Amino acid sequence: MVSLGLEEKPAVECVGLTKLFSIPHNARHALRDYFTHPLSRASHEVNKALIDVNVAISPGEFFGIIGPNGTGKSTLLKIIAGIYRQTSGIVRVNGKLSPFIELGVGFNLELNARDNVRINGTLLGLSLREIGERFHDIIAFAELERFVDQKLKNYSMGMQLRLAYSIAIRAPYEILLLDEAFAVGDENFQQKCRETFVRMRSEGKTVIIVSHDLEWIGEYCDRALLLRDGLAQRVGPAKEVVGLYLEQEEAAASD
Amino acid sequence: MVMVLAAAEYKLRYADSVLGYAWSIGKPLAFFSVLYVVFGRALAFGAEVGQYPLYLLLGIVLFTYFSDATNTAMESLVVRAALLRRLAFPRLVIPIAITVTVFITFFVNLIAVAVFIIGNRITPQIEWLALIPLFVELYLLAFGVSLIVSTVYVYLRDISQIWDVLLQMLFYSAPILYPLQLLPSWAQRAVFANPLTQIMQDARALVLGSDEAPTIGIVFGHWSVRLIPITAVLLVASLGIFLFRRRQFEFAERV
Repeated sequence: MVSLGLEEKPAVECVGLTKLFSIPHNARHALRDYFTHPLSRASHEVNKALIDVNVAISPGEFFGIIGPNGTGKSTLLKIIAGIYRQTSGIVRVNGKLSPFIELGVGFNLELNARDNVRINGTLLGLSLREIGERFHDIIAFAELERFVDQKLKNYSMGMQLRLAYSIAIRAPYEILLLDEAFAVGDENFQQKCRETFVRMRSEGKTVIIVSHDLEWIGEYCDRALLLRDGLAQRVGPAKEVVGLYLEQEEAAASD
Repeated sequence: MVMVLAAAEYKLRYADSVLGYAWSIGKPLAFFSVLYVVFGRALAFGAEVGQYPLYLLLGIVLFTYFSDATNTAMESLVVRAALLRRLAFPRLVIPIAITVTVFITFFVNLIAVAVFIIGNRITPQIEWLALIPLFVELYLLAFGVSLIVSTVYVYLRDISQIWDVLLQMLFYSAPILYPLQLLPSWAQRAVFANPLTQIMQDARALVLGSDEAPTIGIVFGHWSVRLIPITAVLLVASLGIFLFRRRQFEFAERV
């Protein structure tokens, strides 16, 4: 193994990560199926979502994960987060990992913003006191002062996302995992989001992002991983990996 | 986290209903009224028990907690599929939040019991503090069963039909609407196979006296027989925790 010298331990390291999903052809949720076909074990199809993926992400790095639909990008993120358990391989995490991969987890449309900030904030690891202290900042950043006591179902999609984003950036993580999280709100809000990304970078936070927005990945990420059919095809500088992916897609399209 | 989720759950249960929280007390009271008219008046079960209305109400309130908690908990994981797939958090939080929420409703229902107690001019006794360990026992039983049925429900939806039937059996095999004294002696022993019977009779004996509600100790001739249902409750709770923890890593993939 090559010595890394004085470099820090990776923030996230995956070694030989493999995830198999066994998908029954007909999900047997009903007891009847066990009686009508007592002898046949339900036929399974094994879906190899990830195959022997090795990747090390450094602290403070902005890391993108790209690839076609259904190639294991979100699965990889979920395994790192601890939502799924890998079939084999190891995930090592150094630092406080955000437990969520999408914005607005636990949002309930029947409750107002006040309650939702409390629920979502708690789920993201904030204490009630911290939520209380940050409540005004959260609402102000999301530009929702006038709507605090309205139920979330009366919010537009953009308003909900702004609120979700505003809570998420105040959660106490060092490593942030996000699945298709940006392109939130209007140009004005986008600008604010860019500023928070710049701030996260200066604070040395590690950000791992899954996205189809290749332009964004190329611009903001240091390095990227291209996944195809569960295999790690390339890890390298973000612009290069995005370039490779675009080439492949073009070649596929012209066939 | 449990408390925030439980509070939200409680709020949501009665959101949008005109009478709101009143329903939590109204439902068992309505149930009580019907049973009282039929069994207390028409069939004169009350003749055996001096304070039949209070006897009946206590039984209903205790049973309602058990059936409400287990029924609500059963679907709790599947209903929260979105949350399970997007957030890494201790899965036990969900059934705990549910059973605690229903426990709040249970305490509200005890207010109705208190009104009957005052109406019947019964003076509260210091021994009534022994109700607390009985409520803990009831909670543990409901919690253990909730863990089992919610885990099974993830894999097999039939459990909800099966549980319906089992709940009916538990309702009629416990002396909720009939006085225990009305049964032949072999049956008096048999109904203690239902662990709810021991909890119910002990609680009633504290409030009404053991003449009106013979406890398991009296029926079997020694107080220590009580340890059998208590052990059974602890076993159910342990089995529930064991099963749930073994399976919790699959929940995100299966719900």
